[in-house]
Amino acid sequence: MLELASISNLANLTPAVIGEAASAAIPAAVPSPEFAWAGLILLLPAISAVLCGVCAAMGVKNKLPGAITAVALLAAFATTLSLFLKMPQDAPRVIHLFDWVAFAWTGQGATWTSFLAPFSLYVDSLTLLWMLFVTGLGSLIAIYATEYMEADVGKGYARFFGSVSVFLFAMGSLVMGGNLILLYLGWEGVGLASYLLIGYFYSKPSAVAAAKKAFIMNRIGDLGLALGVFLIWMNYGTVEYDALFKALAAGGEGATSEWSKAAIPYCLMLGAFGKSAQIPLFVWLPDAMEGPTPVSALIHAATMVTAGIYLIARTFPLFALEPHALTVVAIVGCATALVAATIGMAQYDIKRVMAYSTVSQLGYMFLGLGVGTTFGAVYHVFTHAFFKALLFLCCGAIMHGMAGQLDLRKMSGLRNVKGFGVISWTFLIGCLCLAGFPFTAGFFSKDSIIAQAFASGNPTFTLLGWIALFTAFLTAYYTFRVWFRVCGGPTKYEPGDEMHGHGDDHGAHDHGAHDHGGHGHGGHGHGGHGHGGHGAHEWHPHGPRLAINGVLLLICAGAILAAVPSYLGEMQHQPNWVETMVSHSSAAGGIPSHDHAGGDHAAHHALSFTGIADVHAATSVVASAAGILGILVAVFFHLINRGAADRLRAALLSNGLTRWLPLALENKWKVDEIYHVVFRLPAWVLGHVLHAVDKQIIDGVVVNGTARLPAELGRLFQPLYNGALQGYAATMAGGIALIAAWVFWIWMQGG
Amino acid sequence: MTILASSPSMSAKLALIAPEILLLAGAVLVAVLGLSRNASLRRAVPLVTGLFLVGSIVVSAIVTTPERSVQAGLLMPMLGGYAKALIASIGLLLVMVAGPSIDRRLEEAFDSGRAAFDPIRVMRGEFFSFFLLSIAGTMLIATTSDLIWLFLALELASLPTYVMVAVSRGTRRAQEAAVKYFFLGALSAATFLYGFSLLYGATGTLELQEMAARLTQAEYIDASGVPTLAMLGAVLAILGIAFKLAAVPMHFYAADVYEGASASTTAFLGFMPKIAGVLALMVLLPVFGDVGRTILVEGQSVTMPWLPAPIAAVLWMVAVLTMTLGNVGALLQRNVKRMLAYSSIAQSGYLMIGLLSGPEAGFNAVLFYLLGYGVTNTAMFAVLASLERNGEDVETLDDLAGLRTRHPVLAWMLAASAISLIGMPPLIGFFGKLALFSSAFEAGQSTLVIVAAVNSAISAFYYLQLVAVPMLGQPNARTETVQAVPSAWPRLAAIVCGVGVILLPLGLDRLIRAASTSTEQLAQTPVSPTDDAQASATGAAR
Repeated sequence: MLELASISNLANLTPAVIGEAASAAIPAAVPSPEFAWAGLILLLPAISAVLCGVCAAMGVKNKLPGAITAVALLAAFATTLSLFLKMPQDAPRVIHLFDWVAFAWTGQGATWTSFLAPFSLYVDSLTLLWMLFVTGLGSLIAIYATEYMEADVGKGYARFFGSVSVFLFAMGSLVMGGNLILLYLGWEGVGLASYLLIGYFYSKPSAVAAAKKAFIMNRIGDLGLALGVFLIWMNYGTVEYDALFKALAAGGEGATSEWSKAAIPYCLMLGAFGKSAQIPLFVWLPDAMEGPTPVSALIHAATMVTAGIYLIARTFPLFALEPHALTVVAIVGCATALVAATIGMAQYDIKRVMAYSTVSQLGYMFLGLGVGTTFGAVYHVFTHAFFKALLFLCCGAIMHGMAGQLDLRKMSGLRNVKGFGVISWTFLIGCLCLAGFPFTAGFFSKDSIIAQAFASGNPTFTLLGWIALFTAFLTAYYTFRVWFRVCGGPTKYEPGDEMHGHGDDHGAHDHGAHDHGGHGHGGHGHGGHGHGGHGAHEWHPHGPRLAINGVLLLICAGAILAAVPSYLGEMQHQPNWVETMVSHSSAAGGIPSHDHAGGDHAAHHALSFTGIADVHAATSVVASAAGILGILVAVFFHLINRGAADRLRAALLSNGLTRWLPLALENKWKVDEIYHVVFRLPAWVLGHVLHAVDKQIIDGVVVNGTARLPAELGRLFQPLYNGALQGYAATMAGGIALIAAWVFWIWMQGG
Repeated sequence: MTILASSPSMSAKLALIAPEILLLAGAVLVAVLGLSRNASLRRAVPLVTGLFLVGSIVVSAIVTTPERSVQAGLLMPMLGGYAKALIASIGLLLVMVAGPSIDRRLEEAFDSGRAAFDPIRVMRGEFFSFFLLSIAGTMLIATTSDLIWLFLALELASLPTYVMVAVSRGTRRAQEAAVKYFFLGALSAATFLYGFSLLYGATGTLELQEMAARLTQAEYIDASGVPTLAMLGAVLAILGIAFKLAAVPMHFYAADVYEGASASTTAFLGFMPKIAGVLALMVLLPVFGDVGRTILVEGQSVTMPWLPAPIAAVLWMVAVLTMTLGNVGALLQRNVKRMLAYSSIAQSGYLMIGLLSGPEAGFNAVLFYLLGYGVTNTAMFAVLASLERNGEDVETLDDLAGLRTRHPVLAWMLAASAISLIGMPPLIGFFGKLALFSSAFEAGQSTLVIVAAVNSAISAFYYLQLVAVPMLGQPNARTETVQAVPSAWPRLAAIVCGVGVILLPLGLDRLIRAASTSTEQLAQTPVSPTDDAQASATGAAR
């Protein structure tokens, strides 16, 4: 009842008064020591990480680390679930675990006299929503990885699961932490885990380069976050959410300067863009696919990359204070969505297509935040987590079975290959969700974002809405390009190997993966597989076993069920469960009016040509049309008439005017190259200049010169230490006399 | 007369020095045991020495009570508790280092029958007897109540060390070192004895408490707080005691003596005389001033700083010169023992900073620092004492090259203690320096802290050689002949001390609290009425 009441309150708000609503809508946190067991959600992955470390140190040669991690994460999920069921969600709960950072000082004129960041959890419905899918997907993907990584048992197996556990701990700290310092701890922790896992195959130069790229790109973003946290403390004197929201509600008393207040959202934004791979910091995410596929699914699709959205949703009241901040978020998100989608169209590596689609979908989420629907953004995070994890796991399963093959030109008709049935059909479900096919989860969440862009009545947002619609068309096209190429058409495939350069090194361990029995083709030789070519006729792809198939089916079910809240919301006029969750959190200020009867703003919306008065319904229709159109184009080019796609490409290339288009797309708009020239090269030059300065002047003249001084000084006194007793005695007596004389001199001065 | 008048204080004093009396008995017993014909009795000498040291710790813990200390009329009533436990504990470790090395060749000869037992030639009994006597003297300083006592205690601490240096190796170099040490030590003793006599002349008393009281009275002093004669006496006393610390200008002997003596004796010299000097200054300096002391000058009440300016200036100058010359001197050395000698000079400079920073925080920091220094110093020399090359001590850095490949544990312990001496966290040396420097900052001695910090940076250069050469250096033909001594005791001592360097910070809070009990009573109960009456009675008796 209470939930319904607050929804009806929110219904009275229009986006124009977001700022006023933001601070008022957050109830004060209730200290809840009785929920201290929620700390288990952080503790369990931490213990698992330590145990994996012990396993690695002891050289465990079985699947024990995987089992430990899976059990720990399942237990963490169970804890989250029981917290979700037991905790009343009327107000946020603060669970103080122990004192952590606590500085207090006194001083004249000091604005603030303490810096407190206890190890406490801030749990509201947003936290719970996030933790449910983080721990849920985390445990499922860990189970998947127990089979997927089995070629590495005894080698990197413990390291892999240790890193995954570290990731889950850090992600928990990021999401559940009661203050921005804990968020920062988690933020850096997930960055570390991401770095470790991207560089998992550390003997492969491209993996190492990708890991470093991800780390450095994230550093740039993290600088923004660190500055943002500092500015928040400087202006509001606290980094704890509860106190911060109270201070904001009170109008930010004691704030030092306007500019520093205005800079806060932009700093946080930079952090969010780095972690969530938005323009200009998006180039690391596609390269991050060098990591093992479960990692791509968990970290680089479902959870970590949504941390930026979480950050903005959590600190939404701060963004609402600054008029242009959200517009910037919307523009950047929309531009990223479009650019990434265009690149995704022209890639041949299916994992890379999925990576660019992740960047693109993250762009949608930021668009949602920017146009003022935190619900849409969070809902899209939620649905995307399932279907994108599903898509990646399908890619991984294909790769696992096809000896590292990822090139969509070299696989076809997998749906008919024995053992690939589950993969193909769950892959299809994932693609439908991603394409926004009507009545799938992705459809509802994406539409709520696009509809809000149109509903806002702001001309900029309307333009963004059109771009988002066009991007939805592109999304549907490239998604089904992959599916029709890989799973549709006549059955034809060749195995991958390291020479193709597409594998994530899984090919290297491929023989090990084949050598276990139990998937129906054990016993025949595999010697030549890794070398491609001649092996094609005697090579059989192997389908996955229970752990992979089961997880695929479970996540597929999750991806389908993610639409249920919307069914209930749209069809039965019950409050959308996710929307209720968001409206009870600090992101509540970003929930727009939820008015199916057609508000005054809906009368002149940009989609009125459809003849549908309600902007949401109109968007649904138009977006469905765009999606289906994209799928149809894909059907034509990649199922019915595959030659046409190549002919179109050839035609574009032959025409001087359109030549740039396929090249630009295939070369990812040359963003990496541009960054190289604009940033890396000058930095490289500067680095060498400074190195020379350091070597020659600092080290050579200043340091070594100073170091020589004491030695020279020592040599000066050396004759005094001649070993002769008389000399020593005389020098000592002389020293006493000198000092006594000196004291008398002080004496005479009247000291 | 004096003895009769102060008999309650005398009995309290006698009780307080029970640990030293025990050690004295031990010294006699050990000397006799060492002359025994029975080889196993002679072999038991280090063990008995160790037992007496343990006994002295226990007795000290029992007899050191606040009431007794106040009754004994001590200026630093609680100094003894912590200091004696520290001295005896480090002494125990030093027994482990030195135990097997003394008379090793001779005993081997006796065992193999190459030589017949000759009581004239055995030295082990003498060595450990003097060892205990020196420790007893060092402990006595902590419970000093008058200048005669202080002088005798200082000499009891020093004289045995001259003999120990001479007998430690039985080589000409050791004897040369001992002679140098003895003559220069005598010079220093003459210096501080002259200082003491001037102090007596200026104040008319030998009792430290009484002297401190008289130095606040108008007829004895002028505007600067100290009469000229007493000031001169103080300067000479400080400079004489500086010899024990190996502080400038009395530091010249250190390198030669450290080099000449065996590693195990050098370990002793690196710590015992140093703490003796520090304790002597700690009981002497409060005579001239106390924080917040007020004196009457021409009817005006003037609040004095902790030390009168000339004395503070002497300490300041000595501290700066000692740190700098010590560290700079160490830079040039290739001989590890000489390097450590200069390093110990530099460490004395750091200790002077604490002495200058006042009797509360500064003294506490010094006492805590001494603990870390004692353990680290013992660890380093224990590593050296565990190694030998052709039956001789390991001397140069080159001998240590690539130690890690052959004796990894010793190399690690050496590295840990060197890093601790630089003052790197989280080792004990860092916390010692932290306490010293922060106490100096509180006392307003920021210039000294800066000088000390610069010196620490310089010292890193040579300390890191003690890390780099054993850990990263390549073993060569010369180091092939370096091997561990047969006895495991020095190695055990090295490991105990090295691990202590790493693990002691875990008990940091307790250790610092223990150290700070030493100065507890000083500020709170200056002089009780009964003591006042006693003091005036003593004065009248004279």
